[in-house]
Amino acid sequence: MNDRVELFRGNRIFLSCVYWAFVLYVFVPLILMVLMGFKDSKFIGFPIRSWTLEWYTGVFADAEVLSTFGYSVAIAVLSTLISVIVGTWIAVLLEGRKFTGRGVTFGLTVLPALVPGIISAIAFRIYARYLGIEPGMGAIVWAHAVHNVPFVVLVVMARLSTLPKSQIEAARDLGADPLIAFARITLPYLVPAILGASIFCLLLSFDDFVRSFFLGGYEPTLPVLIFAKLRSGMSPEINAIATVALILTAVIGVWAERFTRRMNKES
Amino acid sequence: MAEETSDRTFWGRLASWGPYHAMMRLATASPRRQFVVLAAFPILWILTQHLGPMLQMLRVSLTDAYPVAPGVEQHFTLENYARFFGDSIFWMPFFRTLIFAGVFTFCTLIITYPVAYFLARHVSRKNQMLFLLLLLIPFWVGEIVRTYAIMILLGNTGAVNLALKTLGLIDRPIPFMYTSFSMGVGIVYLTALYMLLPLYSALEKLPKSMNEAAADLGAGAWTRFRRVSLPLTIEGISSGCTLVFLISTGFYATPVLLGGPSTTVFAETIAGFFHVAGDEWPTGAAFATIMFMAALIITTVFQKLMNALRKGEKK
Amino acid sequence: MTKLILNRRRFLGTAAATGAALASPAYLRRASAQSGGEVNIWTYNNFVPEAFKEQFEAETGIKVNVRLVDDQGKQFNLLAAEQPNPTVDIMTVAGHRFLQFIDSELLAPLDTDRLTNWNKINPTFSESDWSTINGNKWGAPILSGMEVLSYNSEIVSEEEALTWDTLFSEKYKGQTAYIIQDMMSIVMLMKGYDGNMVAYLDDPDKAAEIVEEAKQFLIEKKPLVRKYYDGGAEFQQMMVNQDIVLGHSWNGPAAALINDGFPLGMAIPREGSYGFVYTYNIANNAPNADNAYTFLDAILSSPEIGAAMTKASGFISTYKDASNYLTDLEKKSTSFPDEQLANLQFFRAEANEMKYGLVDPAVEAIKAA
Repeated sequence: MNDRVELFRGNRIFLSCVYWAFVLYVFVPLILMVLMGFKDSKFIGFPIRSWTLEWYTGVFADAEVLSTFGYSVAIAVLSTLISVIVGTWIAVLLEGRKFTGRGVTFGLTVLPALVPGIISAIAFRIYARYLGIEPGMGAIVWAHAVHNVPFVVLVVMARLSTLPKSQIEAARDLGADPLIAFARITLPYLVPAILGASIFCLLLSFDDFVRSFFLGGYEPTLPVLIFAKLRSGMSPEINAIATVALILTAVIGVWAERFTRRMNKES
Repeated sequence: MAEETSDRTFWGRLASWGPYHAMMRLATASPRRQFVVLAAFPILWILTQHLGPMLQMLRVSLTDAYPVAPGVEQHFTLENYARFFGDSIFWMPFFRTLIFAGVFTFCTLIITYPVAYFLARHVSRKNQMLFLLLLLIPFWVGEIVRTYAIMILLGNTGAVNLALKTLGLIDRPIPFMYTSFSMGVGIVYLTALYMLLPLYSALEKLPKSMNEAAADLGAGAWTRFRRVSLPLTIEGISSGCTLVFLISTGFYATPVLLGGPSTTVFAETIAGFFHVAGDEWPTGAAFATIMFMAALIITTVFQKLMNALRKGEKK
Repeated sequence: MTKLILNRRRFLGTAAATGAALASPAYLRRASAQSGGEVNIWTYNNFVPEAFKEQFEAETGIKVNVRLVDDQGKQFNLLAAEQPNPTVDIMTVAGHRFLQFIDSELLAPLDTDRLTNWNKINPTFSESDWSTINGNKWGAPILSGMEVLSYNSEIVSEEEALTWDTLFSEKYKGQTAYIIQDMMSIVMLMKGYDGNMVAYLDDPDKAAEIVEEAKQFLIEKKPLVRKYYDGGAEFQQMMVNQDIVLGHSWNGPAAALINDGFPLGMAIPREGSYGFVYTYNIANNAPNADNAYTFLDAILSSPEIGAAMTKASGFISTYKDASNYLTDLEKKSTSFPDEQLANLQFFRAEANEMKYGLVDPAVEAIKAA
């Protein structure tokens, strides 16, 4: 009995060490990024001989950066909404259902995730022209949405496969039609997966350069702007922009989380 | 009784609303019709949105000229594919990419499994989301900025070398950068997220009691993990690995920036056809198709294998 | 260090000050009586000085939309995807990439008679051998860049930098970097051949032989190199991190390091090197071609505008007398001794199809080796 407790504790300590080591690995580059935004030079790197706040204050004075940030956030949110709806629908169709062509359908579902970025971007560009979609915000949202659907499908399917069938059946027995059974039983069960997938999609969209570049108009997304600025060197300015963008997204994220929690409580 | 309670809710009211009721009856008249209603939109979406762009690319890969200059006639040809199989210089980056993707996928799994396990099993439910979000924060930073941060971490005057030197452990800097090591550090950073989420959602729904029951029966930690946690999370492992493998084959910026002279990946080869020589789109498209087919075959086999494994465990 | 802070502040300050002081050419107000409309431009960061843009918009009523690009190939792909109805009026094409764009009918010939300020460009650039193709001019030269041997001057001596051989010496093993495509042309020069390959247009066998020789040389030297890189920012980072101490680079990224106070030197080695010129070009079927000409004539009007572009980008201005408006440090980072400049040649496009048909697979082979 004592051995068992010892074992549990040992495991726990080991696992928490791994976790915090991982946090360190993930955060050190981030800390370096924030730090370099204070370097008084046009290039990042050690040693830092003198410090300045100019790069950070400069970001807030730069209307272009701020509007670009808003533009990127809007694209990420819109494309994520589309991806989540479509992806969940496809996952419901594919999971636990046997029909002719299911394998092919699954293959085609994950297709957009497989294609290397540059190829995908060019394929989207050719197809957008074929469909008559003008380059700009709509085109970027569309490309991001399509590209992110497979990730939603995979994550939601994994969760869906563990939903006890008996629950749905019970609901159906009580007279619920399939749509209501889905809304009342399946959907709540899927919420963690859908939330996870949404974060995923937001990240992918916010971070995407190559599709945004090929499908964009004259307004750059944040990564496109950073790429253009990178031509004159990886400067503390870029680090400052990235840091400010990070903080702003975190603030928006926390606010959104609070907001949805409040909404949930009210309903 | 059940009817009475459900009548008060939104769903109850919806269910007894005439038009909705009629529509649902129409849609679910037979299992066949119900399936058609469910499948119509996804199939349409997949065909037009997923397949459409790819078919365009496939078409380009089978032509001898694209974009077509005025006055030039476009012919269909298989030559772009033949070029890959006919020239061994393309094989090296191709197989290297598949091997790298496999190795990095495995590394990511090994590194993130304990992290996901800790999150799902040893962190109280209230804090789980917080701890998970903590890990996700750095991924909000764009790939390029993050990659440069890794450069100033691992460079000759980078943070790690600086620390080692200050501690008196080394005299001259260790050249970490532009090796498969620096590339791995950068890539695992990118892939960890894709592995972490499926693993976490698989582990999170494992009932805690199961492990305790096994422990009561005298099973050690390793046995418990191997006999209980692992089989039940194969689903998550399988989708995480699939995801990470697929994404890894397409990485471009990170391997190019962090890799060295002998770590060229296939995405770089493909991009070369679009960057350097603008008239080689068809070859680039063909090579991309080959990469895609290979990755698809590998992941299909992998999924089949995992499925078999799972079924075997269940028996 | 205070000096350095001062420098950057001054740079930021002068950029704004120059903007206010930019002599506004009188003809501009006369000729274009608020014609309005817009002009769409694809160009690199800092290639359209902000102050100039504001003044131009105010005086002509033409709105300037700038879309930032970072690569010639992307511009080509993007434009090719948009033809025959492009959204762009003016692109920024490097002179030696003309042919590719012209062959795909993406560019309109430039009518220099419509540009009253054409003669403000240094004829070295505007009348050079690469600039006339099929009897037409295709672009207005604005900035020029060249390939140089850059070195950390605290570690590598000035003499060592006078030959490309140093880049391949055992002494600096694992401390060098180059852009492999560009290096192919330079290796050809080192071996005494024409790196533009125009001389071998009639002798493809000889051309293949030369490329093979250069390829074998770079494969043999592969164990010595730290990194094959692509972008100027990568080069700068490797220098700052001291991952490398010398390398082949374009002068722009090197100049930016020098201006920031980094101990960097650059040289055009005696075996020779290549330069190129960025030009503003008018797209075929440009939606606002008239406005595009108005814009080009305006941006060419004063050497001060050219100097502002040099300050911001680190490339060398093609305008006559632009250097009169540069500080000493800026001049140092954008000029070379005459005896080194004599080694410089310009890229030419005539043999590009043959050249890159041979060089691109060679590059793949070197990377795969």
